[in-house]
Amino acid sequence: MIGPLVGHGFITAVGLYAEASGSGGGPAGLAQGLTPLDGILVPTLGAYDLAATFLFPFVAIRIIAAEKQSGGLKLLLQLPGGLATKVGAKALVLLAGWIVTLLPGLLAIVLWRSYSGHVYAPETLNLLLGHFLRAMLSAGIAVAAAALAENAASAAIVTLGFTVGTWVLDFVAAGRGGFLQQLASYTPTATLRFFEHGLLRLNILVAMLAISVAGFALATIWLHTGRNWRFRLSGTALLLLILGLVMLGTNGVRASWDASENRRNSFSRIDEATLSQVEQPLKITVVLSPEDPRLTDYEQNVLRKLRRVMPRLDVDYAGNSRTGLFVKPEDHYGEIWYEMNGQKIMERSTIEEVVLEQIYKLAGINPQPRAEENVFSGYPLSVQARGAAWIFYGLWPLVIIILWWVQNRVR
Amino acid sequence: MTELLTVNGVSKYFQQRCVLSDVSFSVRRGEVLGLIGPNGAGKTTLFEYLAGLMPADAGTMKHGDKIVPPAHRKETLFYLPDAIVPWAEQTVSWALHFFEKLYRPTSMSVSDLIGPLRLDEIRRARMSSLSKGERKRLLLALGLLTPHELLLLDEPFDGLDLRQTRDVMTLLRNHVANGRTLMLSIHQLVDAGRVCDRLVMLSGGKVVGEGSIDELRAQANLSEGGVEEIFLALT
Repeated sequence: MIGPLVGHGFITAVGLYAEASGSGGGPAGLAQGLTPLDGILVPTLGAYDLAATFLFPFVAIRIIAAEKQSGGLKLLLQLPGGLATKVGAKALVLLAGWIVTLLPGLLAIVLWRSYSGHVYAPETLNLLLGHFLRAMLSAGIAVAAAALAENAASAAIVTLGFTVGTWVLDFVAAGRGGFLQQLASYTPTATLRFFEHGLLRLNILVAMLAISVAGFALATIWLHTGRNWRFRLSGTALLLLILGLVMLGTNGVRASWDASENRRNSFSRIDEATLSQVEQPLKITVVLSPEDPRLTDYEQNVLRKLRRVMPRLDVDYAGNSRTGLFVKPEDHYGEIWYEMNGQKIMERSTIEEVVLEQIYKLAGINPQPRAEENVFSGYPLSVQARGAAWIFYGLWPLVIIILWWVQNRVR
Repeated sequence: MTELLTVNGVSKYFQQRCVLSDVSFSVRRGEVLGLIGPNGAGKTTLFEYLAGLMPADAGTMKHGDKIVPPAHRKETLFYLPDAIVPWAEQTVSWALHFFEKLYRPTSMSVSDLIGPLRLDEIRRARMSSLSKGERKRLLLALGLLTPHELLLLDEPFDGLDLRQTRDVMTLLRNHVANGRTLMLSIHQLVDAGRVCDRLVMLSGGKVVGEGSIDELRAQANLSEGGVEEIFLALT
């Protein structure tokens, strides 16, 4: 199923990329700054997000629930080795399965290269890492649900309920700031978004791994039928405590790497060097509602970059929703306040250069004149996805059917 | 015969329902001990407790003089559950060789069991496609491949026809002669009388009798009669 999904994403992406590159006689300016990360890799590998949400959890549930339902668990628990080792082995099997499913994605990248398409290795590997962590997160949650629930169907309901819950959290927390937004930054969708933007954040990496491992650890605690309730509950409490401490610890970690070729998550090198000299805390109060596109621009173009270089940054989202029927527009709506050293400046612009100017003014720094950095010109490419349909819709399913037939040939 | 295992005061409640009540008995080295009782007597619950697969509310299990905590039971004994279909997608041959490799070196090999348990014809079959009797024969083979001194078999003759039952009884007897101890949960009292050296009779979660048939007959104040008559007299 992954093959045709990846293929559909790839073929559509190549077509759209070609159009954006001017194949249909579109505006020449559209091709500037066109990057394969956004145009090809993210939509092609997007199939893996679907798989990690709707397919992979059920595979993970099956490897645990099948043992419980068949009675095989009673044998498994008596075999040599600890249960943690056995659950770890199952995790490795899941991991191996996921690596096999990566084949169509890698095939798509190879095809793209064969069309003379550009691939920037760091951002590609970063994106693959993101999808891998996303899958492991799903697997951890699914395995824990399978261990806790009575049967596979209940585990599937719990896992899907969790996924839908994270979507709701994403939606509710968007642009609201505070604890809710911090929490929402760890949802599977939000975490993957960082990798899709070419950003590798250490706290996200650690948090995703910690949640995945915690899922398998929880399964280990609950799968052993010989343990009493007191042991299981105290083990669960200890595990949640450790996970909570890890999450709390990672929340303060700001280390991150911009793996994107066009440095979309970074200010210019000169600005980064200048901002790193600022030691005073900066408080930004944004009076924009969550659904205001200016806030989205401001988040992506300014705040995401600022958070990477200014560890002592505090952002307060003061804007309420303006879409409610009985909500009156606020007097200060649209204002963005910058506060440092007891001084406050208000600026409405969300443009990077203007914002930086205000921060330098508050910090009392004379910025160095910006040297001309290499401007990312993009990699427009107008090609057709030759042979892709044959491979992903024909050859791949055929190979899978043959393998399935060979596997089922016994008796 | 020396005592291999001593079970003392085991009680188990499922919410308010008492499934095992102060169950005590012993297993002697080199014997075939039968655990008999009607459906719902608590036989499987007791086996799962002994194997460390189910916690009890009270009671201990001693191996020799030492209490064996549930986490270490799998080093002392191996329990073969009834009516399970493990690794349904795998073949019989895979399961047999998996156990053989896992417990290597053991005194038994797959080739020693293929003939007596008539597994040759189903070697390439998937576990999920086996009939009840075929599955039982395979599970018995898996149990006999383990190196544990004490083997607990839950309903080892369930699903087997008369000839197969007799063959399996002979096979189990041979294993005991080679130094193994068996504890069998059996609800067919006639089968129990044929294969077991001693019996533990369980009814309503309580031990109502323990000993050889002669000893049990004496406990029941009967001058003659088989296991069925003894069981009816004691319960």
